[in-house]
Amino acid sequence: MSDSYGFKIPRDRLLIFRFIIILPIAILLFYLFNLQVVKGLEYQKKAEDILKRDVPIIAQRGMIYDRNYDEPLVYNIDSFAVNVIPGDIPDEDKQRVFKSLSEILKIKENKITDKVKKIGYHQYRPVEIAQGISFKSVAYIAEHMDQFPGVTWISKPIRGYSEETASSLSHVIGYVDEITSEELNIYYNQGYNINSTIGKSGVEKQYDYFLKGIDGKRFKIVDVTEKSLLEKPDADIPPQPGKNLVLTINKDYQVLSEKALGERTGCVLVMRPTTGEILAMVSYPWFDPRIFYAENSSEKFAELSLNPLSPFLNRAVQSAYPPASVFKVIMSTAMLEENAFPIDATITCTGEMVVGDRTAHCWNKTGHGPLSFYDGLANSCNIYFFTIGSEYIGEETIIRYANSFGLGRLTGIDLPGEDPGFIPTPQWKLQHENMKWLKGDTMNLSIGQGWVTVNSIQIAEVISMIANEGKAYKPHVLKEVRDPITGEIIESIEPEELERPYISAQTFQHVKEGMSKVINVGTGRLVTTKAVQVVGKTGTSETGVEEVYKSWFASFAPYKTDNLDERVVVVVLIEDPMNQQWWASQTANIIYQGIFAQQNYEQAMKTLYPWMKFEEPKEQEEQ
Amino acid sequence: MRRSSLFGFDIILLSSTFLLVILGIFFIFSSGVTATGEIYSTEYIKQIVWAVTGLIWLLFLTFSNYRNMKNLAPTIYIIFIILLFITLSFGKVVNGAKSWLGIGDFGIQPSEFAKISTIIFLAFYLQTIGSNIRKLRFFLIGLLIIMVPVGFIIIQPDMGTSLVYFPVFLTMAFLAGAKVRHIFFLILLTCCTTILTILPYLEEMIMGIQYPVFTILKKPEFLLFSLLGIGLIFAVSLWGLMIFKKRYFYWIIYGSSILAGSSICSFGAHMVLKDYQVMRLISFINPYIDPRGTGWNIIQSITAVGSGGVWGKGFLQGTQSHYQYLPQQSTDFIFSIIAEELGFFGGFIILVLYLVILLRGVQILSNTNDKFGLLLGSGILAMILFHLFVNIGMAMGIMPITGIPLLFLSYGGSSLWTALIGIGILLNLSFKQYR
Repeated sequence: MSDSYGFKIPRDRLLIFRFIIILPIAILLFYLFNLQVVKGLEYQKKAEDILKRDVPIIAQRGMIYDRNYDEPLVYNIDSFAVNVIPGDIPDEDKQRVFKSLSEILKIKENKITDKVKKIGYHQYRPVEIAQGISFKSVAYIAEHMDQFPGVTWISKPIRGYSEETASSLSHVIGYVDEITSEELNIYYNQGYNINSTIGKSGVEKQYDYFLKGIDGKRFKIVDVTEKSLLEKPDADIPPQPGKNLVLTINKDYQVLSEKALGERTGCVLVMRPTTGEILAMVSYPWFDPRIFYAENSSEKFAELSLNPLSPFLNRAVQSAYPPASVFKVIMSTAMLEENAFPIDATITCTGEMVVGDRTAHCWNKTGHGPLSFYDGLANSCNIYFFTIGSEYIGEETIIRYANSFGLGRLTGIDLPGEDPGFIPTPQWKLQHENMKWLKGDTMNLSIGQGWVTVNSIQIAEVISMIANEGKAYKPHVLKEVRDPITGEIIESIEPEELERPYISAQTFQHVKEGMSKVINVGTGRLVTTKAVQVVGKTGTSETGVEEVYKSWFASFAPYKTDNLDERVVVVVLIEDPMNQQWWASQTANIIYQGIFAQQNYEQAMKTLYPWMKFEEPKEQEEQ
Repeated sequence: MRRSSLFGFDIILLSSTFLLVILGIFFIFSSGVTATGEIYSTEYIKQIVWAVTGLIWLLFLTFSNYRNMKNLAPTIYIIFIILLFITLSFGKVVNGAKSWLGIGDFGIQPSEFAKISTIIFLAFYLQTIGSNIRKLRFFLIGLLIIMVPVGFIIIQPDMGTSLVYFPVFLTMAFLAGAKVRHIFFLILLTCCTTILTILPYLEEMIMGIQYPVFTILKKPEFLLFSLLGIGLIFAVSLWGLMIFKKRYFYWIIYGSSILAGSSICSFGAHMVLKDYQVMRLISFINPYIDPRGTGWNIIQSITAVGSGGVWGKGFLQGTQSHYQYLPQQSTDFIFSIIAEELGFFGGFIILVLYLVILLRGVQILSNTNDKFGLLLGSGILAMILFHLFVNIGMAMGIMPITGIPLLFLSYGGSSLWTALIGIGILLNLSFKQYR
C-alpha cells in the first residue's frame, strides 16, 4: 500500500489513452458520415425497396373464336396459381408444408420439391407450384396461414375449351403450359418471366404475342412478415388483356370433317382456294387440352407422348408422305403445258412395262388397253404416266413443275412445325446415295413414289392452284385479331398471293376436266354426292409393308361455278387404311355433301347412304 | 480547482450520462411501437425503473468511499466468480446463452456485474504489485485474473461479453506501467489467432474454393508439425540468447511464441466455435452470403442507419424499425433506430456525448492521486469504450455481430446498472478530489 503515496501519475500513458479514446470514436463518426450523409440517398432507396412489393396481376389471355365470332373456342376460367417462397419456409417445416400442400392442391409432393429444387431451397423468389387451383382450396390455405409459411397465391385464369376445341381442333389451337427454362432464355426479353404461361403448340404458340397480353402490377408496403400494411390501388399498373383471335376455321365444317374421318389415323383439310383460308383441319388421333389441368396431368401427358400414334402430331402440317397418284395432276400439267405429248394420242397399257432388267406394273395387272390423257388420269394408269414421265418429259421438267406447285418447300402456314416434304433431284441422289439417277427413278417420281414426300397443306395448295387456274394463296388459320374489350378488328389477314410461274389457263382446264373424269368414270367414283360437282384425284401410296397403304383424296368443288368464293378444296389422307382404302374419297364425299347441302354429318350420311344405319360402308374395290 | 461542479458533482459527466439514458428510454419506447402506432412493448417502463434504481446505485457509489473497495476487492471478485459458476449450473437460457440468474421475470446477468468486480480486483492486484507489473510473471497473473471470468462466460456461451475483459486488462496494465512489449504480445496474439481462425472458413464459404494452404490449418497433424518447427526455432533462439546475449534472439523468441500461441489458440477456436458463430463472422465479411439468415441483421441495420440521412426520418417515423425489419431494436441495435430516426445529427450527438464522458473520465483520472482509483477508473472507461465501439460498429457493419449492448442506451437492467455503477465510481473519484 506504500505505493499509494509515492504514486506518480503516468501522464504520458494517459495522453496515449486519450488518443486511444478519440481514434475509435473518430472512425465511427467517419463511417457514420459516409453511411448517412454520403450514401444516404442510396440507402433510402434500398430501404424503400425492402418494404415495397409488386404483385403481378395476371393479364387475361386472349380468347379464340372460329370465323363466325360467336361462341369462343377457347376462353378463360377463373382460378388461382399457388406460389411458394422457399426461403420463407423454415427448414424444419419444409417437409410438412410441402406434404400438406400436396394434399390440398392434389398434386404429387415430389412435383413441388422438384420445382423448388430448380430455383433453390433458400431463394426468396416465388416459384409457382400449381395452377388451376379452385377458390375453395385457396380459401382453406388463407384461413390456415400460420401452417403455410411462405405460401402465396395469385389469380391466374386457366384455359377453358369448347367441345370442338377439346377434340379435333386441339391441333390447330394447341395448348398452353408453364414456360420452360429453355423457352425463358429465348423469350426473356419479350416480357416473359419464370411464372409465365406460354403457348406450346398450334395457334397458342404461333400467336402467343397477341394472346398473352401484358401483366399488370400491384404495389404494396409490407412489414417483415410480408403482412401488407399499405396498398396503393391508384398506383396499380392495370394488366392489358391479350387480343382475341378469330380463326378462319368454320366450326360446322370442322365437326363435319371430324366425324367424316371418324376414328381413322389421318387428316382432313378443308381450304378456301381463293384466299388460302383453312376452314377445317382435323388430324386423328387428337388430344384433349384439358389434360394439362387434370390432377395427374404429367402422367397423362407422358402417356400420350408415348402413344405410337403420336396424338400430339398434327398430321396435316407436321408430317409428309409420298403423294402417290395425286402427283399425276402435276405430271398432267407438265405434259400439257410443255406440249410434250398430244392430249388425244394414246398409250397402250398392257399391265406391265419392261425397263432394263426390271418390270414395272400398273395397279391394274390385266392392263387398261389404249388410253388417251383423260382416260389415263381418270384411271390413274401407271403405265401411261411412266411413259410420259420417262420418255416425253424427263425428270428435270417434272422437278421444275413440282417446284412450280410449291412442293419441297414450306407453304408458310401460320402453324408451328411444318414439314416441308421433299422433291428428289439427280444431284441429290448423286450426293446422298452416290448413284446416278436412273430411268426407274423418273418412273417412280412420275407416280409420286420413291423419295418424294409432301405434306397435306402442299397438296391443298396444288389443288387450289389448279382450281384457280394458276393462282395460289398462302394458307392461313388466322382471320382477324380483335380488341378484347371493344371487339374492334385490330388486324385483318388479307389473302396473300404466292409467286408462281406462269402456266396457261387452258392447261389447267384440261387437268380439271381430267380430274372430273376421275370422279365420273375413274377411281373416284365413290364420290356420289349430288349436292355439288366434285373434281379430284385419288392416290394410294405403298408403305413398303404388304397391304398397308396411305390413301389420299385431293379435290375441289364445285367444278364449274360463277361464284368462285364458294369453292372449297378438300384433302383427305388416311394412314394404313387396310381394307378401307377408299375411305379417303368417301370422307370427302360426306364433307362435300354436308357443306353444299348444308347438312350436318348425320343428315349427310342419311342422304348418301340411306341403306346404312350409321355404319361405315365396307366396300372393297380395286384401285 | 474544478469549476464545473454542483454540490461537488462533476456536472458535465453527470448530465452527459443522464442525456444518454433519457435518449435510450425514448428510443426503447420507439422500438416498441408498430407501424400502425400500437405500443406493444412495455420495455421503456421497465427501463425507467432500471434507470431510477440505477441512479440510486450511482448516488450510493458517489458518496461512499471507493478506497473501501480495496479491502473488499478479493471478496467481491470471488462472490461474482461463484455467481458465474451458479449461473452456468442453474441459469436461464436467454438468446442462446445461459447468462441469466433470477426468479421469474426478475433476474440479473452476473456476467455484466462481473466486469466491475473484475476491474476492482484487477485494480487492487495491480496496485499491490506496484512496479512488479514489468515482470512477465506478474503480467501473466493479471491475465489469469481476467481469464477466470472469461472462461466462465465463454462457456455460457457469450463470446461478445467475454471479449470486453481483454481491452480492460490491457488498458489497466498499460496505465499500471506494464511493458509495452507484453501488451503488444497479447494484441498480436489475438490478431493472429483471429486471422488463423477465420482464414479456412473465409476461402471455403466466401470464395467457394478450397486452398490446401488454408484448410491445412484445421488439421491436427499440421499443427503438430508447425509447432515442432516453431519449437525448434524457439529452442535454438533460447540457447542463442543464453550464450550470446544478443537482442535479436529475444525477438525471434517473441515472434515464434506468438505464432505457436496463435496456432494453438486458433485450433482450439475451431474446436470451440459453434456454427452460428462462424456464420456470424462470415456474414460480417459478406452479409449477402446468407441475406435472410445471419446476414439479415447486418443488412437491415446498415439500411436503417444509411436511410436515416442527415436529419433522420423523425421520432417514431423510421420504416426499417417500425415495420420490424430491424431485429433486437431495443438492445443490440438501439443505435440503428436512433440513427434512422434522428439521422447523422442524432448519431453525432450520441458519439459526442460518449466522447465527453470518456475524456472527462480521463481528466478525473489525471487529477487523482491514488493509483487504485486511477486503475479502477481506467478499467471502467475501457469497458465503456469497447462496448461503444463494437456495438455502434456492428450497427454500421464494420464490426461483427457479437450481441454486446450499448451502455446507457440499450434496454436491459444489468447493463444499465453496470454502466451507472461505473459512472458512480468515476464521480466518487472526482468527488474525492475536492476533499
